[in-house]
Amino acid sequence: MAEPLARETLMEPPAGSVGPAAWRPRSPLSEALRLRLRSARELQRQLQDAAGAGAFPTAVPAFDRLLDGGLPRGHLVELVGSRTSGRFSILLAALAAGTSAGETVALVDLGDGLDPGAALGAGIDLESLLWVRPSTLTHALAATEMLIAGGFPLVALDLGQPPVRGGRGVEAAWLRLARAARSHDSALLVSTPYRVSGTAAVAVLKAARGRAAWWGGGGSPRLLASVASQVELEKYRGRLPRGSEDLALALAGAPRPSAKAAPRPRPRIREHRPEVSYLQAVG
Amino acid sequence: MGSPRIACLLLPLFPLAARLRSEPELAQEALVTVAGNGNAARVVAATRLARTAGVRPGVTLIQARALCPKLVARPRDEECERAAQECLLEVADGFSPRVEDAGEGIVYLDVEGLERHYSGPSPELDLGRSLMRAAEADSLPARVGIASSKLAARVAAGLPEPPVIVPAGEEASFLAPLPLHRLCPEVEIAETLERWGVRSVGDFASLPPSRVMSRLGRTGRELHATARGIDPCPLIPREPSPVFHEGMSLEWPLVSLEPFLFASRAALDRLCQRLESRGFACIRLGLELRLEPDGHQSRSIDLPAPTHDAKTLLTLLRLDLEARPPGAPVAGFTLLGYPDRPRQAQLSLYGPAALSPDKLATTLARLFALLGPGRVGSPRPLDGHLPERFALVDFSPPPPPEVRREPRAGRGLLAVRALRPPVEIEVLTGGADPQADPIPVEIRTPANGAAAKRPRIEGAIKVASGPWGLEEEWWAGDPIRRDYWDVELSGRGLYRIYRERATGVWYADGIYD
Repeated sequence: MAEPLARETLMEPPAGSVGPAAWRPRSPLSEALRLRLRSARELQRQLQDAAGAGAFPTAVPAFDRLLDGGLPRGHLVELVGSRTSGRFSILLAALAAGTSAGETVALVDLGDGLDPGAALGAGIDLESLLWVRPSTLTHALAATEMLIAGGFPLVALDLGQPPVRGGRGVEAAWLRLARAARSHDSALLVSTPYRVSGTAAVAVLKAARGRAAWWGGGGSPRLLASVASQVELEKYRGRLPRGSEDLALALAGAPRPSAKAAPRPRPRIREHRPEVSYLQAVG
Repeated sequence: MGSPRIACLLLPLFPLAARLRSEPELAQEALVTVAGNGNAARVVAATRLARTAGVRPGVTLIQARALCPKLVARPRDEECERAAQECLLEVADGFSPRVEDAGEGIVYLDVEGLERHYSGPSPELDLGRSLMRAAEADSLPARVGIASSKLAARVAAGLPEPPVIVPAGEEASFLAPLPLHRLCPEVEIAETLERWGVRSVGDFASLPPSRVMSRLGRTGRELHATARGIDPCPLIPREPSPVFHEGMSLEWPLVSLEPFLFASRAALDRLCQRLESRGFACIRLGLELRLEPDGHQSRSIDLPAPTHDAKTLLTLLRLDLEARPPGAPVAGFTLLGYPDRPRQAQLSLYGPAALSPDKLATTLARLFALLGPGRVGSPRPLDGHLPERFALVDFSPPPPPEVRREPRAGRGLLAVRALRPPVEIEVLTGGADPQADPIPVEIRTPANGAAAKRPRIEGAIKVASGPWGLEEEWWAGDPIRRDYWDVELSGRGLYRIYRERATGVWYADGIYD
């Protein structure tokens, strides 16, 4: 039954059409049938999404669990977090996972916060990382679009800390970025201190402010050990958000903490005598 | 070994053809190229439309305008002619490695054995047609002649219905009926031959060589050999130029950027087309400006990766000219394209897709144009202990693995977000001896204008860990001595701060994030 229909659809322009350029094969079909039709590219993407093959693992288990396997290819994911929420660590981990899989990745660093030594320590292959340091949000958005159009499979855009140079940008620019990511099948991770992308993001995750854990106590010197945070899935287009996950981040060299074992800082009584309430470590 | 076969690529009305290559929109006009200035300007070459109106080479421009009121006149342009000659040489380079530059729209190339690539009934004719097609593709209406001597090939190229092939060994008989001036003899020799009654090349060739030598000297002997179809000197291959030139003299000096970019866009397009057709990309773009009333200015733009994208190069040119205006009206320009091999990549069937080298080069160049130098590259840490030190190197990613790898498991590491440059802060200190051994107690942001654009860091310190001493360049006159602290502010994050020992000023240079 499908064959005569296809022949009729493809060979005969619809009545009243102004010319071949205006003719679209789907247009003469009924609404119900047209909604069921998919192009080859759409079908391939649906199959990939269904199999989880479209995801870009970040190697941050909590993050990957929330996103069903990682950053979805062809989509914009927004990660919102205040200071010490761990969002920059997640971003570096995603880039490290990308380079370890042999991909070439790009970081658009509006906040200019990348420390190459720290990136190396996080496991990023610096040869495969393109670092772009724009000075305004407009430049950052333009650079991100160029990188996506250039074929980079994973692009991370970090807006830094407030005040963000350029504000939130216009929503049309974010929609344009999302469309570029869609058409080039790139994964786009936007790390921002507050919501910026509006409806363009397929998923929005919010990282809460982290709690620091310190080694040592009493009269002994204190050492920063780890930060425990929580990542919450605020939005996932087409699905119900699945709650939140604990996130544990340790300093390099410190024993790796588990999320639940991250010690909660003891409530301290603030005193106005600093020589009593603050401990000094001899460096 | 048989006689050599030489092809001549001839661009008739060379000054005019070079001009039309740069300004193709004038092809339908009655156009002449002139040499000289003012009333002394004389027509060098004219288009068919101008010739139909009676304009001939040698007449003054005033006479030409009287004959054809709608005449468009252009002065001879050295830059256009150089670019056209280079382009003609490149066409020949595409066929043979042995190419001689004879100047003024004439190029000789050794085509010995090339006819074997053509299987038709007349392979040399096919070869000649291929040469003409290749030249035509570069907007050069060249003619072709093939013979065993340069002169015969040159004369054959000038005949109607090209390509004209002179069979090997028949050069003398081919040249014999031609008038003697085809040999371009010196005036003195021409007068002598005139007195002798020698009118054609054949007449001259029939004279005994020894007598010609004794009467006309060495020059006469060489001319006599040429008349007999023997080249006095062999084909001398040229060294290919390491730089591609394109440019033109402007009709009037330009003072604003947009018209200049409009004029240079066409030249850039031609330059990129030439680079691409030779398998090159541009790694450095040079620009030489001829300024009014006199003076020159040179500048060059280094590209992060070889590219032949004219749009990107034009953007770079615009940014460079905006940053450093020439300071005087521009009367002419030359673009210099420094060639380099474009990046190549082997696609993988099973590994991650590699970035297209062409696309990557274009993307890098566009980012470079958008953000400026020092803003795009691959980061590298530098030796030393100062966390703010880093280097940016050219981005040249390694080829992807042949087989897709699973990403490594994350280590769950806490990273520091650098504050670049460090934020100056005010720190209230305590401790047993706050002067000698200060312990940070509270942070405040200094109230000045610059602080408004930086992250605001203030609050009571909940936990402070430090000091961690850092000393560097102690051997230099201005050593760096710092005391680092990790501090947790009450409900406001975790920071890395330091105090300059020399000045006692505190800075925050990182946020644990």
